Amino acid sequence: MSLLAAATVVSTVAACGGSNDDNGGGGSTGGANEASAPGITADSIKLGAHFPLTGVAAPGYSEIPTGAQAYFDYVNKNGGVYDRQIEYIYKDDAYNPTNTSQVVNQLVLEDEVFAIVGGLGTPTHSAVLDFLNSEGVPDLFVSSGSRLWGEEPGTNPYTFGWQTDYESEGKIIGQYIADEFPDAKVGLFLQDDDFGEDGEKGIRQFVDDQIVAAERYTPGNTNVAPQISALQAAGADFVVGFNVPSYTALSQLTALQLGYKPQQWFYSNVGSDPTLVGSLLQRFSQGAVSDASLLDGALTTDYLPTVDEPDNPWVQLFQKVWDESGQEGELTNYRIYGMAQAYTTIQALQAAGQNPTRDDLVEAIETVGGDWKGPVLAPFRYSADSHMGTNGMSISRLTGTSSEEVVPVQTTDLENADIKEYDGKPATPPSSGIPDEPAFK
Amino acid sequence: MQQFVNVTLSGLTQGMIYAAFALALVLIWRSTRIVNFAQGSMAAATAFIALALINAGQSYWVALIVALASGFILGAVVERVIVRPVEGGPELNAVIVTLGLFVAIQALIAIIFGSSFQSFPTPFGVRGFTIGDTTILLTPTSVYIIVSVLITMALLVALFRFTRVGLAMRASAFGQEVARLLGVRVGRMLTLGWALAAVVGSLSGLLIAGGGFIYPAYMDSLIVFGFVAAVLGGLDSPVGAIVGGLILGLALSYVSGYVERGSALVNVSALVILMVVLLVRPGGLFASSTARRA
Repeated sequence: MSLLAAATVVSTVAACGGSNDDNGGGGSTGGANEASAPGITADSIKLGAHFPLTGVAAPGYSEIPTGAQAYFDYVNKNGGVYDRQIEYIYKDDAYNPTNTSQVVNQLVLEDEVFAIVGGLGTPTHSAVLDFLNSEGVPDLFVSSGSRLWGEEPGTNPYTFGWQTDYESEGKIIGQYIADEFPDAKVGLFLQDDDFGEDGEKGIRQFVDDQIVAAERYTPGNTNVAPQISALQAAGADFVVGFNVPSYTALSQLTALQLGYKPQQWFYSNVGSDPTLVGSLLQRFSQGAVSDASLLDGALTTDYLPTVDEPDNPWVQLFQKVWDESGQEGELTNYRIYGMAQAYTTIQALQAAGQNPTRDDLVEAIETVGGDWKGPVLAPFRYSADSHMGTNGMSISRLTGTSSEEVVPVQTTDLENADIKEYDGKPATPPSSGIPDEPAFK
Repeated sequence: MQQFVNVTLSGLTQGMIYAAFALALVLIWRSTRIVNFAQGSMAAATAFIALALINAGQSYWVALIVALASGFILGAVVERVIVRPVEGGPELNAVIVTLGLFVAIQALIAIIFGSSFQSFPTPFGVRGFTIGDTTILLTPTSVYIIVSVLITMALLVALFRFTRVGLAMRASAFGQEVARLLGVRVGRMLTLGWALAAVVGSLSGLLIAGGGFIYPAYMDSLIVFGFVAAVLGGLDSPVGAIVGGLILGLALSYVSGYVERGSALVNVSALVILMVVLLVRPGGLFASSTARRA
């Protein structure tokens, strides 16, 4: 119901002088820049995205495009990609699939973007999946862990996932519970859609017999008392939530009302941002409620470095990029997400070559995307057979404003794929802060 | 057993919240014969005013009083400026205007206060009372909600039944020409009706917000449930609104708690309940006068 639905933010391209060639993508081949595809001119590349900037899903998620914007600005300031400035246009869909279709239509048909990057949400992005693939528009790095984006490259050749899929996440969580808490009575708190379903499927592979209750909530229905009291009644002492951040806050608040104290809360990556949840719950922890932080001690999963690791070189880079961008607000995990996604996007654009077509971009990701190093903790699964994003996660415990690693990065895949500890070394950012991938052909 | 108690208590508290909103709808219906769809947005606007005051360091109670006062002014202004010009025409016109107002106010809130989730404090605790060593889902905040709604209902009944103003308001709503001939200043009564309804709406908005989260559209589902509760109760009776709210609250809580994937069925259930009641008793459960149609 928001009239702001059409609010549009267009990046102002700050074309600065320093367009030296070494920053413009590795295998610079000389020759002139051409308008090789829709959205590409001799000196610019237009990218589009859809995010919930208003509505229930806006808290947190609306910060992602500001992070991406900051990183693209940083790249532009340092010469762009093959001397092309990136023009990043993101539009508000208010997490409403009808709006998503509308804004993506605009992006593709009116703004004529080269590619859609990081469109957020399973229900929302599903609405434009067929459109983008039938139009042949590269649909990179969807901001959602659904398996839809990557498991069938034959059906959706232009779409790529990015973050760890929810099923793999569920498997990693399930194995951890089976190993460390074999006697726990597990309760599941699930969003009633693909997100919760995939997570549940993964967890059940390992602890099916330990699960005493699986409760589902519908986004928009903010009364979760019936669900939380059912978990309590079933005697669940280890609760795993596959839910969005506002429902982490609601579930904690309701548990507080009910006096329900399971021994362990485990929130999937999506719902666990401590800063956001903390700021939502803070008002209740002043005065009436004495607990300093309700989320203290909860477990969660990570596939990216987080703001509570100020010594991590990636966090330092992103902090610098954020400070330079001069946008309002602090660096948050959502902004890191946006920047990390923008980093992968730059890798893809560089790999696609100096004068790429849309198909070149797709082929580049399939051919070399699996080898890219970046802020993401585990490798991507990109190949001609899979467009799934990164394949691994670590598990950590939230302690006040920081977190400690409990299980190092584990990697796996859909279905019955084994879970293995990741043996690669964590990547460090290049000194320029900008990737330098050679053209793939 | 514990779960049953908790699901029931949750339903009662939610039901009281629906009832609070239904009361506002009943009030405006009784005093102007218009269903005001903008009620939710107007309430949300006053809740954001209250939150701004609280964020500025004022106490909850100061914020509550200012919010109710701004509700009163907002209601009066809306009636005078926006609804009055269409009041004489077909009934549908006024209803459509309130629908437009609903969207416009919500957008205005987003522009002024932002659209992010914010927690709204409550003057009382959010931990449930304990009996023995079990905690039940009855918090000091829910007691506050229940008591406030009951007091509001009593005041409304008293207003309409025992005061001249209440009588004049009903008369103006019922038959403008006749009321005018009898010396009632109909215009003022309509403005007063809107203003009072906005105060009650604002109260319900603040009660719902307390100990929870607000964003510009947070009243949306309440509008639907509040409307269903009001219609269940006959749209005309404050007691009916309370009973309707409680029936709806309990039914939805049981659906959510005991039906597989119940949370997804809550909205559908509200529709089913509404349809069944309207089929069996078209005037609502507490219709005071089936013959009287304005």
